[in-house]
Amino acid sequence: MVRRFLAGEKGRPRRDALQVQDVQTEVCATFMKKSAKVINISERAERESSFARDMLGPLVGMGLTINRMMDNLTGKVNATIRYPEERRAYSDRFRGAHILTAREDGSPRCVACYMCATACPADCIYIEPAEHPDPLIEKYPARFDIDMLRCVFCGFCVDACPEEAIIMSRESELCAYTREETMWDIKRLMSRPELPEFGLGYRPNETLVDSTIKFVPKEKEKKELAGRITLKEDVEMIPHVTFDPTKD
Amino acid sequence: MPKFTLNGQELEAKPGQTIIQAAEDRGIEIPHYCYHPDLPIDGNCRMCLVDVEKMPKLTPACTTIVNEGMVVRSDNERVKEAVRGVLEFLLINHPVDCPVCDQAGECRLQDYYMVYGLHTSEIPLGMKVRKRKVIDLGPMVVLDQERCVLCSRCIRFFENVTETGEMQFFGRGDHVAIGTFEDRPLDNPYSGNVVDICPVGALTSRDFRFKCRVWFLHATDSVCGGCSTGCAVRIDHRDGAIFRLLPRRNVEVNRSWLCDEGRLSFHELHNGERVQRPLMKGRDEVQAPVTWEDAVRAVDSRLREIREVNGADSILGFASPSATNEALFLFKKYVGDQLGASRFDFRLDSEDKKLAEEEDQILRHFDKHPNSMGAIKLGLISPELGGIDGAIDAARVGRIKAGVVMYIEPLVRRPGDEEAEGRLLELIDELEYSVVLATHRAEWQASASVVLPVAAWSEEDGTYTNFEGRVQLAGKAIEPGGDALPVWEVFAMLLHAGGAQSLWMSVGDVFATMTENAQAYRGIGLDQTRLPGVVVG
Repeated sequence: MVRRFLAGEKGRPRRDALQVQDVQTEVCATFMKKSAKVINISERAERESSFARDMLGPLVGMGLTINRMMDNLTGKVNATIRYPEERRAYSDRFRGAHILTAREDGSPRCVACYMCATACPADCIYIEPAEHPDPLIEKYPARFDIDMLRCVFCGFCVDACPEEAIIMSRESELCAYTREETMWDIKRLMSRPELPEFGLGYRPNETLVDSTIKFVPKEKEKKELAGRITLKEDVEMIPHVTFDPTKD
Repeated sequence: MPKFTLNGQELEAKPGQTIIQAAEDRGIEIPHYCYHPDLPIDGNCRMCLVDVEKMPKLTPACTTIVNEGMVVRSDNERVKEAVRGVLEFLLINHPVDCPVCDQAGECRLQDYYMVYGLHTSEIPLGMKVRKRKVIDLGPMVVLDQERCVLCSRCIRFFENVTETGEMQFFGRGDHVAIGTFEDRPLDNPYSGNVVDICPVGALTSRDFRFKCRVWFLHATDSVCGGCSTGCAVRIDHRDGAIFRLLPRRNVEVNRSWLCDEGRLSFHELHNGERVQRPLMKGRDEVQAPVTWEDAVRAVDSRLREIREVNGADSILGFASPSATNEALFLFKKYVGDQLGASRFDFRLDSEDKKLAEEEDQILRHFDKHPNSMGAIKLGLISPELGGIDGAIDAARVGRIKAGVVMYIEPLVRRPGDEEAEGRLLELIDELEYSVVLATHRAEWQASASVVLPVAAWSEEDGTYTNFEGRVQLAGKAIEPGGDALPVWEVFAMLLHAGGAQSLWMSVGDVFATMTENAQAYRGIGLDQTRLPGVVVG
């Protein structure tokens, strides 16, 4: 039982599992692994030192290294991916670029209460409120700018929002050619053409409660770029990061 | 002087004081909505309930007069339980729309909920009694009936202070709401005060609406520059822009009130183009920007030249009744003592025209300049000159050759102001050499020899003397634009260029010199000019 526990998940022997010899030291090692608070290294080294162990230990370790190398060479395990053609799947709580959610009619859910701007440690949110014709809504943002260069992606704005109006996506690729492009205005924050590639990130509820995302599909534009830089169009994304805003 | 015990602490009250007033004097706050120190007592909100020994029930602190030997507790469980219950009742139909409410951050409902409430609401949002929202009540006030706690402060304000009685309760039961008859606009000149006295977000300011959340604002204590009454105000500003003026309580001058004209007067400051750099006429008779050092040296030497040729009486000093006492004092010291001039004035419009302006017995004064009395007390008036008309005539016949003219634009504009500026143009045209200290750029300055940019109200520290001779300190809230300097600093530089030995590094230094030398201000200290101010003889 203990041996199986120590043997690791895929049956591949662990180094310290091989080094224990009798049950007593096994139990001792298990105890040390579980509590793992203070390990007296010299005592342990004295107890475990023997000629066979000193000679076999490195060989076993080398065996593991060679195993991994063979895995890599045969393509069984891949440490690297071919970014940007391939992307890693980020966590559902990843804090990427922000999304402003919308009401049913497509107007912003935000009521310009400044809670996000107050909570923001980087002071990167600029809001300009205006009078909403509906007295029950009363206030809406005429301007809502986020300076993506200043933003530290802490997610405090999402935590502070009382209306689920600002949530985050998993989008992390925010490079731009000019500084002006890094200033995201309300239009950009609400209509997110990049969203299907990345999906929703940090947000209060897994499925949005009475707010929707105004999704505007990306227009295909072919940029003529000087020199050797070419844009790769129609690159196939790995399927598990593709995102459908209506289903997620 | 009855003595009583509040929360185990022995206190002394003035005769006739209620428990809440006596506690307030000692800085102990008893929660309240309807009680206001400058309004008659109503006792309807029941938030100030306290436990008085030997009284069978809890009693409101705002209506109970302190008796000798009274033992009062405002912090025991019985009181807390009662206050929590009152608060729960007040919040039953509250819409809890704090995110869009301008009062958020300075709302008594929020404050007391955090201290006494912290209960979960038993009434779901859909079952609350809905009332009307966003009701336009004239140029100053927006009404939201749902947020009201029915404390009747606004009603009592219009009944007792302005005595116009526009507002009243309407309806019965939990449908009671405040309002004006047929939503008629509040058109009286003090309507902005109900916004301040409203403890919740029912009455909010139209002018300040959605401009800024209150927790972003910085406050500076100042004095209103709108008229000669000199109401104590608090300037709320952020990033070099003023967002609103609120009255500070000064029992001797304005109590807790401020007129609408004064409340909106700060807009004039951001209105129009400011003078950015010192401008000086060169050989080609065109004004060009110069440095302060060059401007001060040139002004001083040219004025001395004119004095040598034409005598000291050929120099005119024309002050502004909107400048601070310190500015006027150094102005007098430079033009009067150092250059030796004896002709001074500060009045642009004649007195009888001023008397025709609106005035009432509450706050508003006919003189729309904050410091006319300061100019009079510092002797900036020469009867033989005959005002601006006399100065123009004297300049026309050549008796006056040069003039130092200070013009700080009044914050409350009147129809006659353009005419007054026209007279300044006339004066400058007649003068051989004219130095203008101005805040805002205007056409009449085009023919001046030198234009120096100076700080306006709220951009410099200083004291103002109101119409009854009360000296009050006004703080600096924002930076003046461009290269503008406070007026006192300009004259301090000129005095140094002319060889003065004293060193004035701050307004405090100037104030100290003024209290030594100026007869009217002798012996008062800067600390005395804080609330409620000091009256000089």
